[in-house]
Order: sequence, then structure tokens, then C-alpha cells
Amino acid sequence: MLRDRLSRRDWTKLASAGALGGSMSNWFGALADDAVQHPERKRSVILLWMAGGPSQTDTFDLKPGHSNGGPFKEIETNVPGVKIGEHLPKVSRHVDKMAIIRSMSTKENEHERATFHLRTGYQPSGPVQFPPLGALMSKELGDDNAALPSFISIAPFTVLSPAAFSSGFLEPRYAPLLVGANAFRQSSNYEQTLKVQDLVRPGEVNDKQADARLGLLKGLEKDFAEGHPGVVAVSHQTAYERATRLMGSAAAKAFELDEEKDALRDAYGRNLFGQGCLLARRLIERGVNFVEVTLFDVPGAQGWDTHQRNFDLLPRLCQVLDPAWSTLLRDLKDRGLLDTTLIIWMGEFGRTPRINRDSGRDHFAAAWSAVLAGGGIKGGQVYGKTTADGNSVEENPVSVPDFMCTIVRALGIDPTKQNMSNVGRPIRLADAGSKPIQEVLA
Amino acid sequence: MTRHRMGFVAVFVFIAAASLSASAEDDEQKLADRIDELIGAKLADANIEPALPADDATFYRRLSLDVAGKIPASAEARKFLSDTRQDKRRQAIDRLLDGPGYGIHFANVWAGLMVPEIDDGFQKQALVASLSRWMRQQLDENVAYDKWVREVVAFPLENNSEGGGNEFFNNTGPTTPTAFYQSKMGKPENIAASVVRVFLGVRIECAQCHDHPFASWKRDQFWGQAAFFAGVRRPANQMGDFFIGTPLMELKDRRELIIPGTDRVVQPVFLDGKEPQWKYQASARATFADWMTAKENPFFARTAVNRLWGQLFGIGIVEPVDDFSTENKPSHPELLDELAKQFAEHSFDLKFVMRAICLSKTYQQSSVYAGPSKPQTRVFASMPVKGLSADQIFDSLIQATGNRDNSRGNSNRFGAINSPKSTFQQKFAPQEKRTEFQTSIPQALALMNNPLIATQTHPDKGDTLAAIASAPYLDTAGKVESLYIAALSRRPTEQESCRLVSYVDQGGNDREKKKALSDVFWALLNSPEFLFNH
Repeated sequence: MLRDRLSRRDWTKLASAGALGGSMSNWFGALADDAVQHPERKRSVILLWMAGGPSQTDTFDLKPGHSNGGPFKEIETNVPGVKIGEHLPKVSRHVDKMAIIRSMSTKENEHERATFHLRTGYQPSGPVQFPPLGALMSKELGDDNAALPSFISIAPFTVLSPAAFSSGFLEPRYAPLLVGANAFRQSSNYEQTLKVQDLVRPGEVNDKQADARLGLLKGLEKDFAEGHPGVVAVSHQTAYERATRLMGSAAAKAFELDEEKDALRDAYGRNLFGQGCLLARRLIERGVNFVEVTLFDVPGAQGWDTHQRNFDLLPRLCQVLDPAWSTLLRDLKDRGLLDTTLIIWMGEFGRTPRINRDSGRDHFAAAWSAVLAGGGIKGGQVYGKTTADGNSVEENPVSVPDFMCTIVRALGIDPTKQNMSNVGRPIRLADAGSKPIQEVLA
Repeated sequence: MTRHRMGFVAVFVFIAAASLSASAEDDEQKLADRIDELIGAKLADANIEPALPADDATFYRRLSLDVAGKIPASAEARKFLSDTRQDKRRQAIDRLLDGPGYGIHFANVWAGLMVPEIDDGFQKQALVASLSRWMRQQLDENVAYDKWVREVVAFPLENNSEGGGNEFFNNTGPTTPTAFYQSKMGKPENIAASVVRVFLGVRIECAQCHDHPFASWKRDQFWGQAAFFAGVRRPANQMGDFFIGTPLMELKDRRELIIPGTDRVVQPVFLDGKEPQWKYQASARATFADWMTAKENPFFARTAVNRLWGQLFGIGIVEPVDDFSTENKPSHPELLDELAKQFAEHSFDLKFVMRAICLSKTYQQSSVYAGPSKPQTRVFASMPVKGLSADQIFDSLIQATGNRDNSRGNSNRFGAINSPKSTFQQKFAPQEKRTEFQTSIPQALALMNNPLIATQTHPDKGDTLAAIASAPYLDTAGKVESLYIAALSRRPTEQESCRLVSYVDQGGNDREKKKALSDVFWALLNSPEFLFNH
């Protein structure tokens, strides 16, 4: 059989080049005719990952006057007719850059499975190691020779679904570089937390000694590669070269946040998420293609998982989110990066419109909100609508595959493009049958 | 033409040597010889010359990593190297298979298969710990494979009180395989897919939603398997629906399933199309287990021996090891049949098969292929280079550096978040093709600069390093040799020794020499020779 003779990489290469298109039409369907509208335009992504699942009823889809609505009020935004929650006053000044999707309708309402679902675009099923969006986009957009890895995940809470923070079935070089992973109650110690793990060599080893060590290692690598030519030895050499380059590179200066003006640092918020957003901008500036910042560690809250005391915790979470997100949008715009940077705001699901007896809201996948902003997005609009009680979608439901498809298309990439999976079955960037939301695309 | 002829002669010698030692009495050696005969025949057909035998040090390190999950201790390695007995390799195989390392390592391997990486959420780590605790018991007692697999598949779920919060997370409940069912959220289709994939080597779950286009499995066959598990129930729990340790229940007489989203009712049917014969008061799962573990089942023994082969060579006779199908042919069908037959005839003894494979000349070949172009991995003309699991790397680092760590084999608690071991586990996630292992940047950074490495390559703080560096009875050459044995389980070649002795001695004073020795140790621990099994 063909696949006996072709390595997986060759197979994928051929497949993406369309060489197998004719004979394998089942799998390698015709490339969409209107695909890749701006192939020359490399875009970047910042994913603001709201771990725990934020309440749409208190942020972007308020239900004033309904018993589900709760105590929070709506406020005007800089787009006439569009209103959002009162705890996002700074963000309300940037709605002209945003497409607010109020009709997310997804299938998983348990943290672990939903985290996997929203981050990969696929429901977890059996042994298929679906890669997260960041790994997929890192492969599509990244430059293998760059000093910085093309997928960097800031302050992630990976324990819920480590697989959703891996390279999945893609090669390990597309795995995220994790910065400040699982930093519980470390929010105040953000300066240390926002450093790359193990980037700095031990203090007592000076430059000369470090070079000597690398010299010895090079000799050992060479000897091994002579006896064992092949991908294992090459990949070892490549990874060490890239890691060493990163350790000594000017690009690693991205992590030195004290280079920034105090006023700007204050504007982002002096906390893990705020400074993480600032770091994201510095990384995007230096050519990193996909950066995600997780909002989880806020004193008193476990991310957005507000089963209890929702109306007490939500303002605290928004106090972190509001300055960081709004400053990020302004900062990107000031630097001319907004047009080429797509900003995604989402969690793994929303929360029940119904308020439970602990003044909390529970997991809710049926009708919730996500926001796209910046590059490739037609801002200043609301897409989709929920019912008066918020319990279901009334207009334009958006599934996870459709949402992914929209993101991929906004980046100028063909969503039907496929990668060979670990089970020998090619998998599309966005699940078969998905469609982009045309209204949302610029 | 010359090369052609040389190859033929070499293969002839290879086969002749194999049949010579076939006069040995025991069945393990006979099977080992048969392995060499069948591998050798294929090589002869293709005019491929096999690699030379691996030297003692390479063999012992390889065996130790493969069987016990970590490199040998320096003293063990030295003892093996200076052992002059003819049968010392055989002795080493027996010793390692009967030692505690086998149970610890293979409990991780099997538990990892039953609750694979994709399921590796926060709570599921607790399940893996629970399952490997149970697996360890089976392996330590060398319970027959068909027996423990039967227990996994037919384990009664009613009256199972395991699963309270603390008991669950501390893993102090009774030792059972129920974690397997909990990890599948008690869903019949997930349980069936996993059982069939792990123990029958068939990826039938792709047929869950539609007929599989590559293989002959149909959607109804998938649900026919799931129907055997239809009685498994996950009741509502006061700890909430998200709590994965929720105790499960079973309705024993439930033997049909409705395909979700349809109104079709499916009855259990075996994969070979036969209808089950129900027994009085036996659960459908027990009936399934009887069929699955039967000696006549063509999938059962083959899948197991193929997994063991894949574990030891990095690549299966059928590869991927869980993809048996008419389209995915074995590289050596006769060998697969022979291994499976012997496995079943020897009471499904996993150690019997391991012993035979490890005794074979095929397993004991060098990983260096001297010929002009390296033959493809699947002809087994040399030992493939294999990536190590996170556990193998971490446990080997501990072994080499002398760092005190008591987490090995302790599955009573799952590792603390951000512990040294868990940081390695996070960075060295399993890769599908171990023979094409790819190193990542965070892995390289961790191995260069991680606090564990920093301390252990510090001339005064490193346990192994400081002891060697300050040993008064060792000259520089002796110190370099000791570092090589600690990290690579071999003595340096003359050339390596020369190079490194002059590197260390040029340091001048004692302080500088110690520092230079730390550089050598650091380089050895970061070298591909340390980080891969070869």
C-alpha cells in the first residue's frame, strides 16, 4: 500500500500539495475554491483563554429585567445600540474592533472535555490526539528558523487537559512553550512567573564554562549521529541549537517586562494576567505567531468557575480582565499591529442563565458568548441572539467547528487543509462540514 | 556484486549460528532461535546484512531500560561488564525480569495504554495511579495475561464502594481495575473502543459515527461491541457530575443498546460475527471476556505479543501496534503467528515471551548499522534507536546522578503538581513513533538548566558527581570512567578518555578540575546516548 512507502511527512506534504487529491477524493476533498484570500499576509493570534467558563449573562449578553439577569446593569459602548456588562467599562470603548458572538452552542459541559473541545475544535474521542489551535496555527504560520518558538502559552492552567496544551499529533516542535504554567496563587509573583522555565543557566556557570560544556556536547552529538543517522539524532541537535539560541538571543528580551514604561505596565494591570497580556504584545512584536494568555489565578476565584458567589467574584475577575484587554487592543493599535493580529476571547463554555441557590451559575454549553477582534474581523457588531431568558439560541447558532473555521479563515488559511493524524487518518484544520461565519469576517 | 555476496555469506552465518544454539533444551531459547531464523530469512531474501552483535555494555543498558525502565546502577553495570560467565546475558535477563523494576515499569506501560494520554486530565491522573497500583500487583505476581485481562473486562462493578473523595485522590481504596471504567466515564462505547483497541489491536472507534473507509469495520459492529458493556451505569453523585471517581454500577441483564441519536437497537455480536451464548447470571461483559481471552481468538495473543515486540523494538511487527486490519500487513506474519502460538501454549506468560525476545540475536544486535545505507527499520537489521518515556528519563536521571527521590513505584499518590517528576512528565509526553522521537525546545532547556540538573552537575552538590570528583583513590582517567559508567553504563573508549582527561587536567588546580569534571557529567547527561535507548 502507498502508505507503506511514504513516510508520514511525505504523505502530508503530498496531501497538502494536492498531489493525492484525485485518487483519494474521499479524504483530500477539493480545496475550497475561494480559499486563502490573502496568502501573502502572515497574521498572528492572541488567545485570551478564560479558564473555567465566564458567565455570558454578566459580560456580553445581559438579560436586564429577567429573573435570570442578576443585579448587573448594561452599559453603552462606542458602537451605538450595542450594550455590554457594566463591569467592562474600558472594554466598552473598543467594541468597534469586536465581533461579539452571542450564539455559541457547543457540546461539552464538563471542564476537561470542554477545554479539549474548544481548544482543538474537536470533541475528545478515543486515541486521536487532536492538536490545539495554537499548534495548528504554529505549523501554518510559524518560521522554523526563528529564535522564539511560534506558539507560546502564558500562565496556562494545564492540569484540566494537558493534551490541549501539547502538539497533539503534530510534531513536537509545534508544542507550546509554557510560561508560568499552573502558577496557583502566584499572581502577586508575576515577575518570576512570567519567565521561561529553565531559560537561564545555573548562576555559577559562566559564559566560558557554558561554551565549553556545549563544545563537549557537540562532540558527543556528532559521535552519536555518525553511528545512528536519522531523525532522532537530527532532532536532538536541532532542539539543542534552538534552545541555546533562545537562551542567548535578543528575542528572549521579550520576557524582560521592566523595559516597558511604568504607566503602560500600570495600565495593563499589575497582576499575572495583565502583565501576561503585555508579554503577549512583546512576543507578537517579535514575530511569535500564536500567544495565549490564561485568566485563572484571581484572588478568591478559581478562574471563571463561579458556582458560588458569582456576583461577588465576577466584578473581581472583570477588574483584571477589563484594563488588560482594553490596553492590549489600544497598545496593538498604537503600534500598527492590530490589523494583523486576531484577538480571541473565550472560555470552555458559558454559565447557566438560571442563578443557583448559592448565588452562582453552573456550566452551560447551549448558548454562550465569545468575542473576536482585530485582524480579519469586521468589528462593531453582534452576531447571533439568545432567547429572553438566555436559555437557548434564537438566531444563528455557532458550533465549535464553525467557530474554528471562522478563526482559521480570518487568518487567511484554508480550513479544509489536512494534517495526518496519529491514527493514520487525515484531519482537517476545522472539522468537515464546518462553515465560516461570513458576516464576521472582514 | 561483491556486497551482494558478502551479505549472503553473513546471513548464512547468522542462520547457521541460530540453528546451532537451537540444541539448547529450553523453550525460551528455542523461540529465540526461531525469531532469529524468521528475521534472518527475510534479510537473506532481501540481501541485507544484519548489524553486528551489541557489546556487553550496550546490551545491558538496553535491557535494563526495556525491562526495568531505567539505566543500571554503576555497581551493577561494572559487575556485569566484569562477569566472565558464558551465560551472563541470560542471567541478566532472568534477574531483571524477576526484579522489582519490571513490575514498576510495565505497570506504567499498561496503565498508560488503558488510560492513554488523551484522557490525562487532572482527575484522570489519579485514575492512572490507581490502575497502575492494581497492574503492579498482577505483574509482580506474574498473573497470566489472559487472567488479568479477563479481570479488567469482567470486573463486577456492583457493590463497589471505591470512590469517596479522599480515598479516590489518595488512592487508598481497595486495589481494583475499576479506574479503567471510571476513566471512560462509564460509557459503553468508550469502554468497548478501548478494550478492543488495547487487547485486540483493532481501532474500531472510527466506525462509531460512520463505516470505516480504510478497514472492514462497520458501524453496527462497533455498536455490537459496545452493547456488551450496555449495563454499565454512572449514577448521579453528590460530588457532582464532573467528579470522575464516581462509583459505577451495572445492570447485569442489560444486553442491548440504542445507538445515540437514532432509534436503532443493537444486540451484542462478537467481532467475528458469532452470536454470544448467554450463561445464567453471568454478565454480558463476562461472556465477552470468555470469547476475547479464548486461545482460539486470533486477535488476542497476537495483539499482546505484537505490543511486547513493539515495546522492545520501538516498532511492532504490525505497526501501529493497535491497528490490525487486512490493509495493514505484518512485516513478519509467520513470526507473529509463532510468537502468539507459543504465548498461548505457555499459559499466556508475558515474561516467557519477553525472555525469548531478549535472548534472540535480533534483540541483541547493535544499533549501529555499518553498511553504506541503513535498511528500513521494519526488517530489523539493527536495533532501532528508541525515545524514552518521561518515567524512563526521570528514573534514569535519578539513577545516574544519585539524587534521592522516593517517588518511583509509589503510586499511592499521584505526583504533586510542579514536582520535579511532574515537570518531566509534562515535557516528555508520549510520542506515537518512538523510533522517530523528536526532541523539543522545552525538553532541551529542562535537561540543560532544570534545578535538578543544575544541582546534580554542581561539583560540590551533585551526589554522584561530588563523590567521584573527590574520590582520593581515583586519578583523572578513573574519574572520567566512573562518570561514563554512571551516565552511559559503559567505559569510555581510549580516544574519549584521552580527550576528556586532557580537558579535565588542563583545568590546573583541584577546584578547576572539579569544575571540568562537572562539565563532562553535564555533557554526558545531555547527550543523545544518554537520552535514547539504542
